[in-house]
Amino acid sequence: MLKTNIKKQLMAIVGQERFFDDDETLVAYSYDGYVVESRPDAVLFPLATEEVSEIMKIADQHRVPVIARGGGSNLTGGTVPVEGGIVLNFTKMNRILEVNTGDRFTVVQPGVINANLQKELSKVNYFFPPDPSSMGFSTIGGNVAENAGGPRCLKYGVTGDYILGMVVVLASGKVIRTGSCNVKDVTGYRLSSLFCGSEGTLGIITEVTLRIVPLPESYRTIVAYYNNLADTAETVKAVLAQGIIPTAMELMDKVTTNLVEDNAGLGLPREFEGMLIIEVDGVSEAVSSQAEKISKIAKSFGAIEILEAKSSQERESLWKARKSVHGVLSKLAPNCVTEDATVPVSKVPEMIIGVRAILDRHNITAGIVAHAGDGNIHPVIITDTRDTEEWSRVETAAAEIFKLAVELRGTLSGEHGIGLAKKQFLPLVLDENTRELMSVVKKALDPAGLLNPGKFV
Amino acid sequence: MKSRDEIFRCGKCGICIQTCPVYQEDLNELTTPRGKMQLIRHYCEGDLASSRHLQQVVSKCLMCGGCTAFCPSGIDHESIYMAMRKNMQEDHGEDWKKRIFFHLLTHEQQLKFSAGLAAKGQNSFFEILYKDIKLGNIKLSVMPRLNKKPFREAAPEIWLSETEKARGTVLYFVGCSTNYAYEKIGHAVVKVLKAMGLKVEILADQVCCGLPIYLKGGLETARQNIEKNISLFSRDDVEAVITDCATCGSALSSGYIKVMKELGGDIAAAEKLAVKSVDISRFIVRHFDWLKDKINPEARRTKVTYHAPCHERNHGGSHAALKLLDLLPNVEYVPAEDFDQCCGGGGTFFYDFPEISKKIVDKKIANARATGADFWVTGCPGCSINLAGNLDKEDHIRLIHPVELIADSLEN
Repeated sequence: MLKTNIKKQLMAIVGQERFFDDDETLVAYSYDGYVVESRPDAVLFPLATEEVSEIMKIADQHRVPVIARGGGSNLTGGTVPVEGGIVLNFTKMNRILEVNTGDRFTVVQPGVINANLQKELSKVNYFFPPDPSSMGFSTIGGNVAENAGGPRCLKYGVTGDYILGMVVVLASGKVIRTGSCNVKDVTGYRLSSLFCGSEGTLGIITEVTLRIVPLPESYRTIVAYYNNLADTAETVKAVLAQGIIPTAMELMDKVTTNLVEDNAGLGLPREFEGMLIIEVDGVSEAVSSQAEKISKIAKSFGAIEILEAKSSQERESLWKARKSVHGVLSKLAPNCVTEDATVPVSKVPEMIIGVRAILDRHNITAGIVAHAGDGNIHPVIITDTRDTEEWSRVETAAAEIFKLAVELRGTLSGEHGIGLAKKQFLPLVLDENTRELMSVVKKALDPAGLLNPGKFV
Repeated sequence: MKSRDEIFRCGKCGICIQTCPVYQEDLNELTTPRGKMQLIRHYCEGDLASSRHLQQVVSKCLMCGGCTAFCPSGIDHESIYMAMRKNMQEDHGEDWKKRIFFHLLTHEQQLKFSAGLAAKGQNSFFEILYKDIKLGNIKLSVMPRLNKKPFREAAPEIWLSETEKARGTVLYFVGCSTNYAYEKIGHAVVKVLKAMGLKVEILADQVCCGLPIYLKGGLETARQNIEKNISLFSRDDVEAVITDCATCGSALSSGYIKVMKELGGDIAAAEKLAVKSVDISRFIVRHFDWLKDKINPEARRTKVTYHAPCHERNHGGSHAALKLLDLLPNVEYVPAEDFDQCCGGGGTFFYDFPEISKKIVDKKIANARATGADFWVTGCPGCSINLAGNLDKEDHIRLIHPVELIADSLEN
């Protein structure tokens, strides 16, 4: 509970109608998509940078933690207020301030939902490439703070590749402006990169200028089935080596396709070890020739069956199969934990075989899907956190998966971030000197440790 | 609460959030289906106390069913909300006006009496009640005028088919809206069914389907109505039981079975009724052969748009009304961008949360206006009252039930 005087000061900024500390609200802001829960002391809905700055000054004065939150979609506990404090919920600060197709940028407030931005941009034939699965309700502020990815980031890059500038409120309450609206901008340090992916530990993002891209003219989607998992990686490597950069290359293993079939019956063949969905986009003529080349490559690397989506419905149903994995699996048990380790593309089969062996050894049910084109592996583990014995097996398996990823020159997280879920594994990837530098940066920007405390730094 | 295990199945993935029309306006986790599930879980686990605020939070839902249709974990939000609303009602009671309203819905004679008084324009207590509950943010002047006499009372019980020999008999389950306010829908249903060569029976003893009471957590009260209707309508000698309202339809075709299972009633009889129960639009589409020669090819050409009621869309419906529009030669259908979004009415939602409801309905109206249609077709009188009630005086578009559109295009 906040002291009465602090509460009064905060209420003076946002008013009674945007300040909450009733039990119901505190419970609703005690979680995100991860398993750990912890209640904040208050939830505030800011509408402007100036308000955030004033709130931050008061928090700083009284040493109260502040956690920025958007849609609460993240899977690593990044927005769970583990040390209490104030949740700043940005969902109502959600205006698209500018869409500039001539100069190819948009300026948005942090609470804009990714899908709503896409909808507005599509009206002028543009889009914002990052497409996390949560795009229907996750916010741009959250996407930026987590440096979110998605399937089509293979071709287009991740959120961080689209940030031109931002407005950030520092722990002291000071407001800074990084970058500009220019694609080319080497004026001073590239501070945007510091805050992007900082998971709310360095500053509070209150405005973002994003680069936007014209919508492609057409799509072609191919699905290839393999008897040998290693052949899928050879296909992926060969496609990239021929100079084709598909929008997405998604892999599902046999256990996963069978789980999907058992529970959703989408008509996927059950007998193959691996399934690749490959999509290309661009000018019609170009994508046609790319699609043909991809089919040939898949065949030469051992694909037993190759099909192409003949209509937009067929394309949608293929993506539905891929996107239904999380949902289908979460039906099977109360909790669903999606890991996010990433390895170089050439190591994908080795990683998948290794992950499957780890899961089997610990008797854990999971599907494995991967953004194969960028080595981002998602074992989707289904479990019941109330079963402490099983949960400890899940934790052991996760540790082994991370270790394997690092052995294969990979890393802990491709797009979900570190948050609470992976903070203990940070030393596997980052050496002491590097972690020490991160602490120096954190101390310089947030000396009292008020911004999203208890997380990875 | 028996649904406790089901609540634990909520993996907090949040996929439901994008489907929730209330969240789109409220933008608060507290309003999301995920949020409600978590609050109810904490309540069940004993670390969140029962309170009026909690009661309000679980009521802040249109019961549109969008989240359930989308939930990867297959959670039945509606049942959990209803069980929770019942608990909250026991702890904190219900708004007195709503209490009387539900009392009336379960006591047909008194409902008739109060509607009768209101129809005569007497400044009775019942008129005030009716006005307040049904209106929310809708002006009295644009509310549908009540029938002089309830339709079921005014209409004969037996209507013979137009053809010499009837193809069979159907029972017509007359919804409350038709019975008390929209008699023209009732006449249209009878006219079309007769033209299809059917004998139509209306059962004078029928009562409200009970769904509005059930949805607010009045489980036991709803049961009286449900059992009465099941005993009246579960008949072997009829082709079908026709409904004219998406809400009644969802009750008869699936809701009754759920309630009988939950409260331990006659499940077999409910199932028998469910098989026979069919919405008028779907029935016409299914047997369009019986009707197509009667459609007047010279009928005036009209431009229409469509609103898909939640009780049809998210409860196993199939947009039969859209297929019907496609079958009518003189109808030009222009889809509205958000034709399958909730209208924001949600039973008594527009009375309980008028501000959010208004924002939702205004978006719908803007998109329907943009189609330039003359008629806004919808098979749910509840949606119809809400949509019509929020139109501007200058608006040219008019609400119409699909069956009225058919009746108008028949040769006399």
